[in-house]
Amino acid sequence: MQFEGIMNQTQSVQQAASKQAWEPKIVAFLCNWCSYAGADLAGVSRIQYPCNVRVIRVPCSGRINPAFLLRALQNGADAVLVSGCHPGDCHYISGNLVARRKFALLKALLQYVGIEPERVQFTWVSASEGGRFAAIIEKVVEQVRKLGPNGRLAKRL
Amino acid sequence: MTASHEIENRLRATAEKLLREKKVDLFLGYEKASLPFRTTPLLLTAAEEAGRLVWNSFCTVNLAVYLPRLFKAPADAREAKSATPPPKVGIVLKGCDARSVVALIQERQVPRENLVLVGIGCPGVVDAQKAEKTLGEHEALGAGEDAQGSIRAVVEDGTEITLYRQEVLADACLECRSPMPAICDLVLGGPVEAKETDAARRRAAEFESKPPDARWARFQEMISKCIRCNACRQACPMCYCKECLLDQTRPRLIGAGTDISDVTIYHLVRALHTAGRCTECGACVRACPMGIDTRLLTRKLSLEAEDLYGYRAGQSADAIPLLSAFAMDDPQDFLTEPSHLPAASSSAQEAEQARRAK
Repeated sequence: MQFEGIMNQTQSVQQAASKQAWEPKIVAFLCNWCSYAGADLAGVSRIQYPCNVRVIRVPCSGRINPAFLLRALQNGADAVLVSGCHPGDCHYISGNLVARRKFALLKALLQYVGIEPERVQFTWVSASEGGRFAAIIEKVVEQVRKLGPNGRLAKRL
Repeated sequence: MTASHEIENRLRATAEKLLREKKVDLFLGYEKASLPFRTTPLLLTAAEEAGRLVWNSFCTVNLAVYLPRLFKAPADAREAKSATPPPKVGIVLKGCDARSVVALIQERQVPRENLVLVGIGCPGVVDAQKAEKTLGEHEALGAGEDAQGSIRAVVEDGTEITLYRQEVLADACLECRSPMPAICDLVLGGPVEAKETDAARRRAAEFESKPPDARWARFQEMISKCIRCNACRQACPMCYCKECLLDQTRPRLIGAGTDISDVTIYHLVRALHTAGRCTECGACVRACPMGIDTRLLTRKLSLEAEDLYGYRAGQSADAIPLLSAFAMDDPQDFLTEPSHLPAASSSAQEAEQARRAK
């Protein structure tokens, strides 16, 4: 009974959503020490950037398991963005450097199996780079808008 | 090349000696199986039974998969009190298996000092499914190999059919670049030279030359057969985690069902977990009951590790594993850079950029 209620609700939400024009939905994993603060700086500096991004704060870009990103794409994100401290600036000394190798391989693999490379993006944003954060979001949103909805990895029920 | 029966005799003598002299407590090798084109793993504890060991082109299993569980660390203090000292283990290794053992030593899963590695230069092993397919309507009742290395199968009416080795070798063996074990205490047989060194690269390039849509279609078509039995994980010597990401339920990162998106993510994650660790033994492909070519992905990651970081899995026991290491100048041209300069450029930002430029 309860389940049916939830299903009906979900369906009506989905129907309502499909009526509206599609907007890219981007999940950004930002490291606590640099990129999250950079995004915060963009906010307090009143820099305008598209509102298509949902931020998830993580302790370090090294914390991110590639499965997190795939899971986000599966659950309806149109793209994921990972941002950490610039090389050499990691709060944990080398978390971002270890992550860099993981991300390089992930991106190569996804491209290899035919997923658009723009669906997973990686970058470095420091705590003082509010402008850079906004510029990156702008670029990612623009690219994903061109690609259209994520049709490959999204789970269809 | 030394004939396989000669190697077999040496192997039996070696195992017998090691067990008799108490150099090892256990000896891992292969035994004749009940089906043709196959052998079964054998765990020897008594020197008298060394005669059961066999060596031939059907010794496919990567025995390194059994090692981590023999050296499991005690879970808690109570278990540690009653724990027996880790055993000394002798093990038969082909080229790829030896590289798996090296990778396990690198990752501190097995103690080198407790191992006696018996390496055999490997001319490639037979893919049982390929052999059965080649026989077509015939059903093999027995199989063997002759001195030239051709595979002979005895079929139901008693006739003998010769199969050409190149036709029935496993795909992984056709792409093999290091048939000789990397580190071992004893070498029986060999030396064997790699026939082709760029076969893997060629196959990856062939797939990559297709447009993205075709690659995706091929990938999806292949894995849509997957029944999520996890046999590829079980067979892989590098999948030794006590708690696998797949078994984790809070949070559940990878769906357990056969929904195509769950299957896709499973295969991508499995491949990523073997990145820089996979020694291309082909155990996952052999284990798959649905005939999925899991090496499509692992092959690419191995090549990528080599191209980007000059790293090959299982080459040196002293090397730091690929994904535990880093270099300041690792390639990062895959990163997203803003297409225009940030709009608001504060003095702090300029100072930051100047610092970085240095």
